[in-house]
Amino acid sequence: MTRILPAYLRYLSAALLVMLSTGVYAQKQTKLTDPEIASVAVTANQIDIDFAQIAIEKSKNTEILNFAKTMANDHKAVIDQAVALVTRLKVSPQVNDLSKKLLSDAEKTKAMLKRTKASNFDKVYIDNEVAYHKAVIGAVETVLVPQSANAELKGLLEKVLPALRTHLAHAEMVQQKLPK
Amino acid sequence: MKRLYSLPAVMVILLLFTACNGGHSPGSEVVHKPATHTVEITQMQFRPAALYIQSGDTVLFMNHDMVDHDITEQNNKSWHSSKLSSGQSWKMCFETSSDYYCSIHEVMKGKVVVR
Ligand SMILES: [Cu+2]
Repeated sequence: MTRILPAYLRYLSAALLVMLSTGVYAQKQTKLTDPEIASVAVTANQIDIDFAQIAIEKSKNTEILNFAKTMANDHKAVIDQAVALVTRLKVSPQVNDLSKKLLSDAEKTKAMLKRTKASNFDKVYIDNEVAYHKAVIGAVETVLVPQSANAELKGLLEKVLPALRTHLAHAEMVQQKLPK
Repeated sequence: MKRLYSLPAVMVILLLFTACNGGHSPGSEVVHKPATHTVEITQMQFRPAALYIQSGDTVLFMNHDMVDHDITEQNNKSWHSSKLSSGQSWKMCFETSSDYYCSIHEVMKGKVVVR
């Protein structure tokens, strides 16, 4: 079990990174529209809230719990900003292949987190958070920001990057502090 | 009444000149007029990360980010702000130097140096 999980996580994050950053989308020349980008942004944030909710239910570690609460609150704040913006711009988020893929991967990860033994949960959760934030930062930098047509949407995505990077640094700090 | 003019009493009064909740004496020429400085919280950073002030100065922390932050004393959590939502601010008067961090985002750090 302990050997399978990290491998699975590596696979997951690698797959996500490849898909999001390099390029299935660029190669197929299917540039995302703004409504699609809005859907991806909201979905990616909601997924991390869902992961956090599982951690809040399962973990007893104060560092993990503090991190998970921060994820739930911050990603909610980002969603609220994104929804306010698309409402003002009269854009309806449009489900697309990328948001669907994010969701289906997240369903597998959530199931995996739920069945992970309590003794191993904190490590599995925080390893996933590190991988997930790296993947999302990559996607925002290389796909979502460059492909946004609307300047305000692009601006909002750029504004979210420092928070994502801080979350990554925080996750790595918690990862280091966990008992080995 | 005579005790008021004893050395300890004078020292207490002198200390008040630079103390955070003390008023300043009109008669004294060595009094530092308390100033207010601002630390902007923006893009997940305290700016400036190191702020140099004089004892008795006030620091206003202003949250420009879309997420909540707080300001918590680093070494033994001897003081902390309330949670600051986007657009909110909080101020505190400093008599001693303090290292602080955000307890919501533990990697966010700053310091106030009283010199
Ligand atoms: Cu913070």
